[in-house]
Amino acid sequence: MNITATLFGQMITFVIFVWFIKAYLWEPLTSAMDERTNKIADGLASAELGEKRIDEANIEYNRIVDEAKSKASDVITMANQQSSNIIGEAKTISKKEADKIIALSNQQIGQDLNIAKDTLRKDISRIAISCAEKIIKAEINEEKHKAIFDEALKELK
Amino acid sequence: MSQGEGPATDNPVAYISHHLQPLQYGDGFWQINVDTMFFSTLIMLGVMWVAYKVGKNVSVGAPTGAQNILETLIDFVNGLVKEAFPKPNKIVGPLGLTIFVWVFLMNAMDLIPVDLLPKAAEMMGIVGQDGKYALKVVPTTDPHTTFAMALTVFAICVYYNVKNKGLGGYFKSFLVHPFGIALAPINFVLTMVEEIAKPLSLALRLFGNMFTGELVFLLIAILPWYIIPIPGSMWAIFHILVITLQAFIFMVLTIMYISLASEESH
Repeated sequence: MNITATLFGQMITFVIFVWFIKAYLWEPLTSAMDERTNKIADGLASAELGEKRIDEANIEYNRIVDEAKSKASDVITMANQQSSNIIGEAKTISKKEADKIIALSNQQIGQDLNIAKDTLRKDISRIAISCAEKIIKAEINEEKHKAIFDEALKELK
Repeated sequence: MSQGEGPATDNPVAYISHHLQPLQYGDGFWQINVDTMFFSTLIMLGVMWVAYKVGKNVSVGAPTGAQNILETLIDFVNGLVKEAFPKPNKIVGPLGLTIFVWVFLMNAMDLIPVDLLPKAAEMMGIVGQDGKYALKVVPTTDPHTTFAMALTVFAICVYYNVKNKGLGGYFKSFLVHPFGIALAPINFVLTMVEEIAKPLSLALRLFGNMFTGELVFLLIAILPWYIIPIPGSMWAIFHILVITLQAFIFMVLTIMYISLASEESH
């Protein structure tokens, strides 16, 4: 083999070829591949993150539900307690009221009884007097027995 | 000369020597092997066209078609480069890929029947200086091609040696390896031989393999036509392996040589 222009021609061709492949194929493709690798890695990472979030959300959900359940039972217990309290209170109040009413009506009855007794006594005494008057009118005069009546009336005073 | 057996068997020596004759123009230094230049450049343009198309329409999403194939190739070459280079290197990847693709396709020209393109060229009036067909369609059977690549690789090696070891350090490595400074002259001769052997072996290995491969195809071609298919197809199938292997070896050795040259002095 002689050293000829062919050798240098081939060398130049080779250098141009390498440069072209580097600039137009290697670099765009490797950067695209790197980008894709990053994208896939990001995708996997975010998928993992999403899964983690779902787990977290489930835990949170369970926690909230448990909390709500316990709160609800608390509320029910409290309501029961409250209602029994209210009933008890109402019972005592109504008992008191009833007692008061009973006492009052007893008192009223006593008063009425006294009034009735009074009235009855007055009526009886009036009837007795009128009867006595009629009897006395028919038998004795006033002057004769004035002293007896006066004495009796004195006694009433 | 017997009649009717075809040109190959009429005069086997002339047939083979004609086939090994490059299509040359010019004299002395300006002698150009037109066939070598033409076919290697044609293959280069074809590859460039595909590369440009794929590179321009590159998609980050799921790759399809040619991009898929080229990405696989790039991954393969990049794997070799990353194995050999501790620090990233911007040149050696594209260099290795170019060598692999180019050498593979130039070698693959060997699989075209040996008489097809020379005869076609002869019909178009493209003939050698003696007026007969002369066309070597496999550029890698021309040592100019293999030496051009090997010397370019060698130049890159020298560049990286000087860059990483410094001019003095590079020269010093000739004196102290492998036996230490006491045996400097012997070291110098040994390292010199070692360094020169690298491009020489690189170029001659590819050239030798492809030249002999072509020669075997020519020898098969001078057999009677009814025998040709059996050894012809067998050799062609075997040659697919040789073609790929030689392209791969050239690429791997290039990567290894440049990786050695990129080492810091120790």
